[in-house]
Amino acid sequence: MTLIMVVDDDQDLAEMLGIVLNGTGFEVDLVNAGDQVMTIFNAHQPDLVLLDVMLPGLSGIEVCKLIREKSMVPIVMLTAKGDSHDVVSGLEAGADDYMVKPFNPSELVARIKVRLRRSGVESSTTLRIGDIVIDQVAHTIIRNGKTIPLTRLEFDLLVALAKEPGRVFTRDALLSEVWGYQHADDTRLVNVHVQRLRAKVEEDVDNPQVVLTVRGIGYKAGTSQT
Amino acid sequence: MRRIGVKWRSSILFRVITTTFLLSIILISLVGSILFIQISNGIIREKTNESVSEAQSLYDYSQGQLDATLYLPSLKLPIVVAKILQASDLAIPTTPREVILLGSPLVHAPNDKFNGASGGLDQSSIPQALRKIVRKSGIAQWVRGTVTFGDGSKKSAIIVGHAVEVPPQSPYELYYVFLLTEQQTIVNFIGQLLILAGFLLIIMIGGVSWYVIRQVINPVRDAAEIAEQLTAGDLNRRMQVIGQDEMARLAISFNEMAVSMQQQISRLENLSRLQQRFVSDVSHELRTPLTTIRMASEVIAESKEKMDPAAARSAELLQSQIARFESLLTDLLEVSRFDASASILELKETDMKSLVNQTIDQLQLADLEQIRTDFPDEPVLASVDPRRIERVLRNLISNAIDHSEGKTIEITIRQSAREVSVGVRDHGIGFTERESERLFDRFWRADPSRSRLRGGTGLGLSISLDDAKLHQGTLKAWGAPGKGANFVLTVPKAPGIPIEGQPMPVNPNDEPSTTFLTFDEDDI
Repeated sequence: MTLIMVVDDDQDLAEMLGIVLNGTGFEVDLVNAGDQVMTIFNAHQPDLVLLDVMLPGLSGIEVCKLIREKSMVPIVMLTAKGDSHDVVSGLEAGADDYMVKPFNPSELVARIKVRLRRSGVESSTTLRIGDIVIDQVAHTIIRNGKTIPLTRLEFDLLVALAKEPGRVFTRDALLSEVWGYQHADDTRLVNVHVQRLRAKVEEDVDNPQVVLTVRGIGYKAGTSQT
Repeated sequence: MRRIGVKWRSSILFRVITTTFLLSIILISLVGSILFIQISNGIIREKTNESVSEAQSLYDYSQGQLDATLYLPSLKLPIVVAKILQASDLAIPTTPREVILLGSPLVHAPNDKFNGASGGLDQSSIPQALRKIVRKSGIAQWVRGTVTFGDGSKKSAIIVGHAVEVPPQSPYELYYVFLLTEQQTIVNFIGQLLILAGFLLIIMIGGVSWYVIRQVINPVRDAAEIAEQLTAGDLNRRMQVIGQDEMARLAISFNEMAVSMQQQISRLENLSRLQQRFVSDVSHELRTPLTTIRMASEVIAESKEKMDPAAARSAELLQSQIARFESLLTDLLEVSRFDASASILELKETDMKSLVNQTIDQLQLADLEQIRTDFPDEPVLASVDPRRIERVLRNLISNAIDHSEGKTIEITIRQSAREVSVGVRDHGIGFTERESERLFDRFWRADPSRSRLRGGTGLGLSISLDDAKLHQGTLKAWGAPGKGANFVLTVPKAPGIPIEGQPMPVNPNDEPSTTFLTFDEDDI
């Protein structure tokens, strides 16, 4: 069973989320305060975290950072504000996706499923992007013999680019392939995650060789230097 | 000249100084002229008196000498005449003078042997008028005039004349010419002195009035400057209070005014900020319970089949009203963002044709035949916020459908070099002049029974107008009762350039414009 941890101070909403997710076939852990998150997280090791930004005690952004220090588990933020500031700081803290309240429950479930999707099974070939070797079976990436830890979303993003080396991906295209968005919405998601990914895989972030920017259009995979 | 005119109107200092200068120039030159005339007249009169009396004694002496030749044979007439003509050698040589002896023209030829002049004087220097009087009267006659010398130079002088008798009984005229050179120098010097004094006086008066006026003007000027800064929004500016005079009182009351204004403004600002905060907070706070309600209704709706019909219908109503509530909340939040000026354009190069088509697709209309489009063949690209423009279009099109009474709706795109317009025209119920005034008001509905068809929030047009303005564009409306309405959105193709024209008119071409109402949001 897949375990989803729901962190929300509003007990009724948390319970309702529990009902909906249970009905879809997920197991749910309900947490009401930010400072309890890490204890329960360490004990239960959930497969995905649903995290409200506004939490008493420890804010959602801080919780997000704490989880990221330990784990590459997918994190989806819940926010009452569609305003840029909250969303961007949540994404920068390591959230993979976000939903603005009041959201459509079926859309939430769809997004959760995209985040839990296993991409490794479809192919056993190794991909190359820049100087990086992607092992889709082991779900790891290696540069110069060293494994680089990535979140599942970052891994998916890298694989999406690496699978079609010549193609230039628009942000909208990446949103639909990696995040599963039906119609393009918020391209900041792509920008923030490309920055996070580059911080991990590029040797020089200011002069990226793995994920290349195509000005005015989007991104494409870098070619091998060796 | 125009610049001086402007300065004259705009600066008290300039006006006062100029007036002071002009008036003091007039007064001082008047006083100076009177003074100058009096002084120079005095000097000349003095000299004249002196000259006449001196001439009298010289004449007496000369006549005596001439008469003596009759009794003293040793005195030869030509020698005596020559001596008389050597004026300066004669007795009482106190002042420089010249002599002219002329024979009466009635008796003597112009080149008479005794005619002569001293000092190279031209004999014709004596005015004829004077000569006439001298011949007639027995006493000394004088005149002020100009004499000419042999070398052509002219000098101002007093000429005193007296008839003399050269023995034997021959009528002659004896003229003494007293040059006014010295007096002229003095008068000139006095004149120069007066001009210099007048000049200094004018400058001093100007300087003094400048200084005095400035003392009065400066605080006024400061007040004006500070008032301008206050108007520009710098509410912390205050006047300096110096001393306890009227100007200090002006400064004090000015500052009090500024303080009270600042308090009022900040109170109002706080109020409106609080109100905006409140709207925004309410909208946010409502979101969490709404999410719960929505999920609950969805779960309930899923088991609709198992319910009795009344409960099932209730579940449906619950769901649709939650959706309406949600869009109301979204619109409200959008409005509060506009009111707080917190809206940001996210510009993107957009193909307007496909944006319009996409909007029509997303409306999922039952009858696609109802909509007719008229787009240019060439691409229509503009740098806009596609989310906002799509929202405006969605709003205009669904409004048109709601009010079209099933008749055709025409969507037109027109472009110019710098602007692009999208027009949405229906042939439905239209609106009246009175309705047009409230068209863009929040929560206003032309016909409350009608608008619920598509669940409009009543905020649509207001938000659309705000979206248009955020793009520095316009949203204009035209309408006539029973003949339909036309809404035209115009936005600049590049951001930051306010639109100049409109690629298409808001009045439709197919209707005579005179019978219709045009409503322009600029009139609000």
